[in-house]
Amino acid sequence: MARTESQSNDKFAGSWFWRYASPAAFFPLAGKLEKLCWALAAVLAAVGLYIGFFVAPTDAQQGEVYRVIFIHVPAAWMTMVIYMAMAFWAATGLVLGTRLSFMMSHALAPTGAIMAVVALVTGSLWGRPTWGTYWVWDARLTSTLILFFLYMGYMALAASFDDKKKGDRASALIALVGAINVPIIYFSVKWWNTLHQGSSVRPGSSSMAATMLTAMMIMTFAFWFYCVAAALHRLRTDIIERERNAAWLRDTLKAASQ
Amino acid sequence: MSLRGATTAVIRRELQLFAQRKSDWANPLMFFLIVCSLFPFAVGSESEKLKLIGIGVIFVGALLAAMLSLPKLFDEDARDGSLELMLASPEPLAALILARVAALSLALGIALSAVTPVFALFYALPFDVAAMLSLNVLMAVPTLLLVGSIAAALLVSARGGAILTAVLVLPLTIPTLIFGAGAALKVLYGESPAAELALQAAFMLLALALCPLAAAAALKISTD
Repeated sequence: MARTESQSNDKFAGSWFWRYASPAAFFPLAGKLEKLCWALAAVLAAVGLYIGFFVAPTDAQQGEVYRVIFIHVPAAWMTMVIYMAMAFWAATGLVLGTRLSFMMSHALAPTGAIMAVVALVTGSLWGRPTWGTYWVWDARLTSTLILFFLYMGYMALAASFDDKKKGDRASALIALVGAINVPIIYFSVKWWNTLHQGSSVRPGSSSMAATMLTAMMIMTFAFWFYCVAAALHRLRTDIIERERNAAWLRDTLKAASQ
Repeated sequence: MSLRGATTAVIRRELQLFAQRKSDWANPLMFFLIVCSLFPFAVGSESEKLKLIGIGVIFVGALLAAMLSLPKLFDEDARDGSLELMLASPEPLAALILARVAALSLALGIALSAVTPVFALFYALPFDVAAMLSLNVLMAVPTLLLVGSIAAALLVSARGGAILTAVLVLPLTIPTLIFGAGAALKVLYGESPAAELALQAAFMLLALALCPLAAAAALKISTD
C-alpha cells in the first residue's frame, strides 16, 4: 500500500487497513480515488454507450428499444449490490465501532436509491413498447420497488436523530434487518408473481449477441465506478460536515487549495 | 427474581393494563372496522367485485391496525420511567421485550382475528375462507409486532416516530402479506393452503428467534 499520503504515518499506528479507518487518513485517499473513479466511469460509459448504440446489432424481436438494457440492467444490479455494501459497512460499524464505516453506509444509500429509481424508470419505459404497459407487478420490478422503500426508510431513520452517533447505529441496525429480509422478500415476491423475461446473462452460456454482452459489461463497470465515485464524494462531504472544527481538516483543505 | 418470574410479571402487567385501558384494544378494532368499510364506497357494492378484493382489504386492514399499536410497546413506558427499570433489570432485555410483544400479540391478535370473520361477511366471503383468513391474521399479528418492535425500539426517542415506523415496518411485512392473504385465496379457489401456512409459520418462528435480540440492541441504541 502506498505510504505517500500527506498525513504523517506515525499518527495512525498499525496496519494500513486500520490507518484508513480514520477519517483524517482516508479523506485525502478518498479524494484521489474519487477522481480516478470519475475518470474511469466517464471513459467506460463513453465506450460502452458507443458500442451499445452504434456497434451492437438491432434485436431480432424487440428492435431498437432493447438498447435500454445498457442502462437498465447495470442500474438494477447496482441497486442490489449497493444495498449489500451498505449493510456490510453497517455491520462493520456496529462490530468495530468505526465512525467511517457508518459514514460509508450513509454515503452509499442515496446512490442506491437513485439506482433503484433509474432501474424502475428505464424498466417502465422499456415495458411500454414490449409489454404494452408502463408497469406490471412482476417479481423483479416489485422487489426493486421494495428495495427503494428500504433505502428511503434507512435514510429517513438516519435523518431523524439529532444525535449523529445514535442515528449512525440506529440506521445501521435497520440496514442489517433489511439485509436479512431482502432475500426473503425477493423469493416471496417471486413466488407471488413472475412474468419477467428470463435472465439472459448466465456465466458460461448466454443468449445475447457478443457485442451486446460486451457493451452491457462495460456499462456495468462504468456504473460501478460512477457509484464508487459518487459515494466517495458524499463521504468526503460528510467528513467535512462532521469534522468541520477539526484542525487536521483545516490543514488538509489549505494544503489542497495551494 | 428468576427469568421466568420476570417474564410472567411483564406479561401479567401488560394484560392488566390492557384490561384497564379499553381504548388500547378498542381503538385498533374500530380502525380496522372503518378501514374495511371504506373500500366498498370506493369500488362499488357488487358482491362479485367485493369478494375479489375482500381478502386483501381485510388482511391489510389488520396489519395497519396492528401497526398503529406499535408505539404502545415502549413509548408510554419511556414517559413514566418503567422503561428505565426494564433496562436496569438483570434479566436479559430480549426476554423482557419478547414478553411484552407476546402480551400485545395475545391481546391484539386474538381481538383482530376474532372480528375478521365478521368483516368477511361484508365482502361476501364464504365461511371457510373467513376462517382461514382469521387464522392467518392470528399468525401475522405476532410476526408484524415482532418485526415492528425493532422499529418501535429505535424510535422511542426520535422525531416523527409513528409515520417513520410505518415506513420502516410495512415493506418488511410483504412476505407475511403475500402468504397470509395467499392462504385465504387458495381456500377461495378450492386448493390446499398448506404451503402458505407452513411459510407463514416459518416467518413467525424466524421473527421469534431474531427480532427480540435486534429489538434489545435497538433499545440500547436509542436510550443510550
